[in-house]
Amino acid sequence: MRSFSEYEPVAAAIWFLCVIGIAMFSSYPPLMAISLAGAVLFFIVRNGRSHGRTHLFFLILFVILALANPLVSHNGKTVLFVMNHNPVTLEAALYGLNSAAMMIGVLYWLRSFTQIMTSEKLFHITGALSPKLSLVLSMALRYVPLFGRQSKKVTDAQRAMGLFSGDNIVDDIKGRSRIFSILVTWALENGIITADSMEARGYGTGRRTQLKRFRMRGADILLLTVSLVLTAVTSAAIAAGSLSFDFYPSIEAAKPGILGISGMISYGLLVLLPIFIETEANLRWKYLRSGI
Amino acid sequence: MILIKSKGLRSFIKAAVPFVIVPVMTVAGALIFDGKRQIFVAMGVAAMALLLFAAGFEKKSTGTRRMVIVAVMVALCFAGRFIPFLKPIAALTIITGLYLGGEAGFLVGAMSAILSNFYFGQGPWTAFQMLAWGLIGLFAGLLSERLLKSRPLLLIYGAVTGVAYSFIMDIWTVLWYDRGFEIKLYLAALVTAIPYTASYVVSNLVFLYLLAPPFGEKLARIKVKYGV
Repeated sequence: MRSFSEYEPVAAAIWFLCVIGIAMFSSYPPLMAISLAGAVLFFIVRNGRSHGRTHLFFLILFVILALANPLVSHNGKTVLFVMNHNPVTLEAALYGLNSAAMMIGVLYWLRSFTQIMTSEKLFHITGALSPKLSLVLSMALRYVPLFGRQSKKVTDAQRAMGLFSGDNIVDDIKGRSRIFSILVTWALENGIITADSMEARGYGTGRRTQLKRFRMRGADILLLTVSLVLTAVTSAAIAAGSLSFDFYPSIEAAKPGILGISGMISYGLLVLLPIFIETEANLRWKYLRSGI
Repeated sequence: MILIKSKGLRSFIKAAVPFVIVPVMTVAGALIFDGKRQIFVAMGVAAMALLLFAAGFEKKSTGTRRMVIVAVMVALCFAGRFIPFLKPIAALTIITGLYLGGEAGFLVGAMSAILSNFYFGQGPWTAFQMLAWGLIGLFAGLLSERLLKSRPLLLIYGAVTGVAYSFIMDIWTVLWYDRGFEIKLYLAALVTAIPYTASYVVSNLVFLYLLAPPFGEKLARIKVKYGV
């Protein structure tokens, strides 16, 4: 019983890669609809009713993206109306709608990706490939709050010396740039000292270890296998051409056939996988709590 | 980005990527995807460019101190991205490239993109940002002798890279939206991006004007004091 965010990073990353990859590779409208609906559902399952501003922003973006194509591109047979001597076509409008669904779907997936694949997990993955660069990244990440604290100290010291006041703009800017300059000097020196200290303690003499350890467990392997199999089915359907859809010059869709339909069902299942996992974890948690 | 440990593999990548893989990818992509899926070609080429850099990077043994200074600069870039309207990443990357060499510049640009996107959202555009900022830093390092001598030239370089960054990111926007490349959409994207382009240019000019001399002094001082 683990929620999706507690799964092994590699398995979770591959699941994301499969879902986003298909959403970007294909332009088949039903797949785009599945991707968009699944992405929104997953985001809401994880975040509940919060993030209203995100939803509003994506809604506005969706409208803008959907309208952009018919206003700029004038391909297509069915002319809806003429604006500024340029025909606005049904095909271009539907193409814009499809592109917008694809992009907003992917943006929602990436929002969830950023929430789930925290820096720690990505370092776990990159650390296996390149310990050195992963170390640079994690050090830089640690420096950000450190700089914040140090800058507060420097500001307080400057204030105490009466060097700048907040109500004079010129003074304020001068003071801030002085603080920034002090901070940079301090950061560079501190960095060198850190480096020397690291070397003195034997950095680079052995393998680097991670703070948090992730292990592949049964459920992780299951998730990995299932997502790869489902992706393979959908990819086969796309590669065989059963899921092709042309907008220009007029709308033409290939008959999906059995392969195409199973491709769509597989993608639907793939998208729903973590929602199953989350719901199962939630239900079991509630059940366990009710037994106390 | 990956550091390749095996020497043979590194030299293979250095020879194969620019002369074989990228041309083959471009041509095959144009043939297979019939002009509608060029986004994948673009992403592939971006990934290959990063791989090529990684192969060259391991050649020089980067000391711990150098590595930590790169981390400090990356952290400053990350923190700078929170400033509203003005973005100092490109300027700081250029400064790093000028004083610590092109490779450090590339590294700071690329790493800042990947790191700050933990906060601002990861996506396929991360690869393009890594490449764009990385190249800005790399060229600053390559041109460092001239840029260090004359300040107007440095400011011109800042303005040009500001525009170039916006143009590169718009190529990506259009490729993603249309899966192909339509010049009309690209022009429309460039026009809608004018406020952003202006903000990139202005930030580069402002930060290079304000930060380049003092930052240079500090980095040069550190170099002399500790022999980085």
